[in-house]
Amino acid sequence: MTEKTRFMLALIAPAAVAILLFQIVPILTGANASFRDWTLYDPKRTWVGTANYVHVLRDPEFLGIVLPNTFGFMAASVACALVLGLAIALMLNRRFPGRWLVQTLVLLPLMVAPVIAAIMIRWMFNDQFGVVNAALEGLGFAPITWLTQRWTAFLVILLTDVWLWTPWFALILLAGLQSLPPEPFEAAQIDAAGAWRTFRYITLPMLRPVMVVCVVIRAIDAFRTFDIVWTISGGGPARATEVFSIYAYVESFQFLNLGRGSAAAVIGAIIIVVFALLLYRLLNRLVEVSR
Amino acid sequence: MSAVTSVELKADARSEGFFSALAPGARAALFALAATAVCLLFTFPVFWLVLTSLRPASGVFYVHRGTEFTIDNFHEVLSQEIVLKALFNSFVISTAATVLSLGVTATSGYMLSRFKGPIPNTWFSLIYIFRCVPYVAWVLPLYFVTQQMHIFDTYWGLLFPHVAVHICFFSWIMKGFFDGIDPSMEYAAMIDGCSRWGAFWRVAMPTAVPGLTALAILCWLYTWNEFLFALILTSHETPILTVVMAQFVHELGMEWNLMSATAVIALVPALIVTLFGQRYVIRGLRI
Repeated sequence: MTEKTRFMLALIAPAAVAILLFQIVPILTGANASFRDWTLYDPKRTWVGTANYVHVLRDPEFLGIVLPNTFGFMAASVACALVLGLAIALMLNRRFPGRWLVQTLVLLPLMVAPVIAAIMIRWMFNDQFGVVNAALEGLGFAPITWLTQRWTAFLVILLTDVWLWTPWFALILLAGLQSLPPEPFEAAQIDAAGAWRTFRYITLPMLRPVMVVCVVIRAIDAFRTFDIVWTISGGGPARATEVFSIYAYVESFQFLNLGRGSAAAVIGAIIIVVFALLLYRLLNRLVEVSR
Repeated sequence: MSAVTSVELKADARSEGFFSALAPGARAALFALAATAVCLLFTFPVFWLVLTSLRPASGVFYVHRGTEFTIDNFHEVLSQEIVLKALFNSFVISTAATVLSLGVTATSGYMLSRFKGPIPNTWFSLIYIFRCVPYVAWVLPLYFVTQQMHIFDTYWGLLFPHVAVHICFFSWIMKGFFDGIDPSMEYAAMIDGCSRWGAFWRVAMPTAVPGLTALAILCWLYTWNEFLFALILTSHETPILTVVMAQFVHELGMEWNLMSATAVIALVPALIVTLFGQRYVIRGLRI
């Protein structure tokens, strides 16, 4: 081993130990638990093979509600936050009085804990006393019991997530916009291209690498959303808004079947890691291009 | 073309909005309207939370009507032992996790930035994969692992998982910071007889201070705001603020004034960072 290799290994050694003990060991423990009857009534934790996986993969709750919810949430949240974030980035890329103030306020949700955001939004959408229903009544509409119906509850959760993450898209896309070379814009202006065409044929294609990276990272993170769903609806009404993380948690700690919860967690992890690996090459190439 | 004019042209070419067909006055008005809407959208929930926290218990259900304000909610919340304990614990955990993570990710990011070859590539892929693994997949079993290590419901049992996750999240960012620093100074130091460690510690680290500051702020807030780890890995001994708040929602579901007061207290670091640490946060938001 050369001196250089030893230096490299020494640099990552503490990080590697932390990852080994607190990620790899638990993941293996979880994988082990997923093949066992890990419940309160079975102190021996009998090996049951793939029974937990079969159960989860046949569970209509998991297939019919949890998976569609998780992927629907992921797609809707990323799409809304991307579009809104891009609009705000384009706005902040112009010079106008008060720009600094707008940027500061836009940054705020990024710093707020998801749990706090969830509490705020839950309160605003409270059936009887929430400000949203008060406003609806003021406008002459009937109040809506937001959190007792599947789709409205889902909408509230989605709204919270978009509120939390739009600023992230906006600030990263703004940085992307500011680093674009000026020449194509000059050429477009000389050719008298309109604002829309400039945006559609120059800004958007040049910004694409940054957008793809944002979308990939955010999609992977949206897949594991837990806090806001847990605080806003707790997966309810009647488990109708459960996403994958909530399902694994509820199976493990409310139904106290850690074997089944672990199996669900492993399935989710496999889905997202395969997804992430497929995107890895694309990501790598785009990051290279954008630098 | 000189650099100055090119910059102006660039700003000009892009300062046309979608509404170039409108009269300039109408365009400006529309733009101002959009900017105001954005500001309102992002601040209203926080404003509403603060307002609710200032309402007496009797007026909390009609926040939009009353004019009575009080700070009793804050007194009451801060006289609850669990809230005080949770505040203290959250603060200790966030600070300790920041110090530990920064040390560990700085070396890991430096390694990723300065070296090429199979070892850095493997390390990078490993970090990428663990960054993608959903938290539940390893925090659920961590419940048992920490119990076996006898660190469940203690500071250590929460600290180390945080550090592990910070490595995966922040090594990339740290690599980016070191990529932006010219390594020739380090080479010069090594030619003058500095060891590799010396070059890292005495030359690279001092130059990376702005990046480290940005990372420290993000790291601290991230830990302060974290919920799932705290929910699973702590219990009565080590209450954590986010968990205590979420329990309020489910347990004393009706006492919105107290809950809002707790949330506002928990929000203070976020507000401070937004106002004073903006520059650093934006610097840390690279991908």
